[in-house]
Amino acid sequence: MAWNEPGGGNNKGPNDPWGNGDQGPPDLDEALKKLQEKLGGLFGGGGSSGGSSKGSAGFPIGVVVVVAVVGLLVWGLMGFYQIDQQERAVVLRFGKYYDTVQPGLQWNPPGIDVVTKVNTTKVRAATLSESMLTQDENIVEVKLSVQYVIDDPTSFVLKVRDPERSLQHAAQSALRHVVGGTSMDLVLTEGRAQIGIDVKQRLQEYLNIYETGILVSAVNVDDSRPPSQVEAAFNDVIKAREDEERVKNEAQAYANAVVPEARGQAQRQVEEASAYREQVIANAEGEAERFIQLLTEYEKAPEVTRERLYLDAVQGVYANTSKVMVDVEGGNNMMYLPLDKLAEQSKVRSTSGSTTFDSATLRELTNQVTEQLRRDAAASGSSSRRGGR
Amino acid sequence: MSNRNLTVMILIALVVFVGSRSIYVIKETERGVLLKFGEVVNPNIQPGLHFKVPFVNNVRKFDGRVLTVDSQPEPFFTQEKKALIVDSYAKFKVSDTQKFYTATNGEEARAMGLLAQRINDGLRNEVAVRTIQEVVSGERDQLMLRLADSLRDVVNAELGVELVDVRVKQIDLPRDVSESVYQRMNAEREKEAREHRAQGQELAEGIRAAADREVTVIAANAYRDAQLVRGEGDAIATNTYAEAFNRDPEFYSFTRSLKAYQEAFQGQGDVLLLQPDSEFFRYLKDSSGGK
Repeated sequence: MAWNEPGGGNNKGPNDPWGNGDQGPPDLDEALKKLQEKLGGLFGGGGSSGGSSKGSAGFPIGVVVVVAVVGLLVWGLMGFYQIDQQERAVVLRFGKYYDTVQPGLQWNPPGIDVVTKVNTTKVRAATLSESMLTQDENIVEVKLSVQYVIDDPTSFVLKVRDPERSLQHAAQSALRHVVGGTSMDLVLTEGRAQIGIDVKQRLQEYLNIYETGILVSAVNVDDSRPPSQVEAAFNDVIKAREDEERVKNEAQAYANAVVPEARGQAQRQVEEASAYREQVIANAEGEAERFIQLLTEYEKAPEVTRERLYLDAVQGVYANTSKVMVDVEGGNNMMYLPLDKLAEQSKVRSTSGSTTFDSATLRELTNQVTEQLRRDAAASGSSSRRGGR
Repeated sequence: MSNRNLTVMILIALVVFVGSRSIYVIKETERGVLLKFGEVVNPNIQPGLHFKVPFVNNVRKFDGRVLTVDSQPEPFFTQEKKALIVDSYAKFKVSDTQKFYTATNGEEARAMGLLAQRINDGLRNEVAVRTIQEVVSGERDQLMLRLADSLRDVVNAELGVELVDVRVKQIDLPRDVSESVYQRMNAEREKEAREHRAQGQELAEGIRAAADREVTVIAANAYRDAQLVRGEGDAIATNTYAEAFNRDPEFYSFTRSLKAYQEAFQGQGDVLLLQPDSEFFRYLKDSSGGK
């Protein structure tokens, strides 16, 4: 309860292990001070009194008392100190651990107590970056940061020499241990978080054994990557993964383009076939119906109809062709047909040829062509009319 | 009078001097032994303020905290006779001050040197019976535990120190081996990269081939369906024709022939040689048609 009553430590005389209280142990400073006071008294009263200073006049004794009181006051005031909310102080009395002091105004006898302040709330950080072996005997570079607070200031101050260096050592060992038990792929990819967790656990375990008083609040694997010697190869793997995806996508794009087109063409083919079916059926029905109707009429007057049909058809044939009548009775052996002339005539009529034309020939040809076209149109018109019936 | 003062002064000075020589402090972080003419009379002085007899008693103080022996990285050989660079550290503290004082003359550096040597030997032995794989990953904990166990009693008995912990920090391959590891890693990556690219090609080819197959199948099916439909049409048409024309095949033959004649002689260049005695010219010479 010493912190509740500043200076209370001074009154703990009875509980003091030495049983001497405050004035018991002759501190060196104090002793010297007293000696000086004594000397001052001696010199002061040297000339006047022959007896002891106690017996002499009050003046030198008064000086001694004043000096002693002032000295004591100064010494007492030097014992005050304050502890911030973030801090705790470890107090050693004559070297022995005495107390761990809480925030507030405190007093401890200077020269007797040694006060060491420790910030216990500040989050400190340590980083390490190392290249190390993985489980599968690959080499990786890992960057680790450790955040920690001083949890137990007493241990931190008293138990270990250089606790923060111990933390570095322990972190190094724990990190290498964990990475040494993990495959490279895991270290480089999704295993990082787990490495952080494992390292933290191990690190805390080690620090507890060493009694450093340090509490590890977080361990973070900042970076893990392949060493520079193999970085290009690793990057190439990433590129290769991209290439793989790209090539697949390209193929997919091809498939997506080609299959629907084929389906379309297939539909066209089937549609065309359907059209053909409908067409031939319709044609057949039409022609059949036409024939039946014609037949019905024919059956009513077969002779005449037959004659008419015959004549119509043959007339059509004869009307369109060049005709040579040969009377076979008589001189068929004398007959001479200028077939070459006829052929030539028809050729001139049917083809424009490659010969140059004079205007008269051209006009004649034009007339012939128009006539021909008219005839063709008339023929097709009549046939379509016939088909329509 | 001044003579007496001088005597008092000298006496006081003597008292102070002797007093200061007879008081000593053992800090909480320290351990100490009290010697009397070189003989240990109190092997474990508690922290705090103590008195001794000047010139008779002597106090030796040691650091009582957990200390670190940080050894240098050194090559060790594994079971397969492969070299590994191993770096370790040990945590220890003085446990038996008397033993510590007698074994090391209270010199910390000397204690550390001796401890480092023992750890080094122990580590060498532990590494020598394991493969690289075991040292690196599998058995670090066991290795450390066994090493610590084998050393603990010995160093306690011989050096008066308590071995708190032994850990390896670094376990690395020698530089030239590292180079070949890098080469191997490169080769592995290259393999992986090629695999990815080849797999991409494989899948792409598969996708293309499947697409092409689908196209062919679609086309073939379409052709089949189309032919089916066309055939159906042809069949129905044929049936229709047959039904109609079968009513009078002779008349069909007649009309069809006439149509054929008309179609056949459409060209302008056709020349017909005719005999006047054909049916068509029946009335050409005779208006009664020969009847």
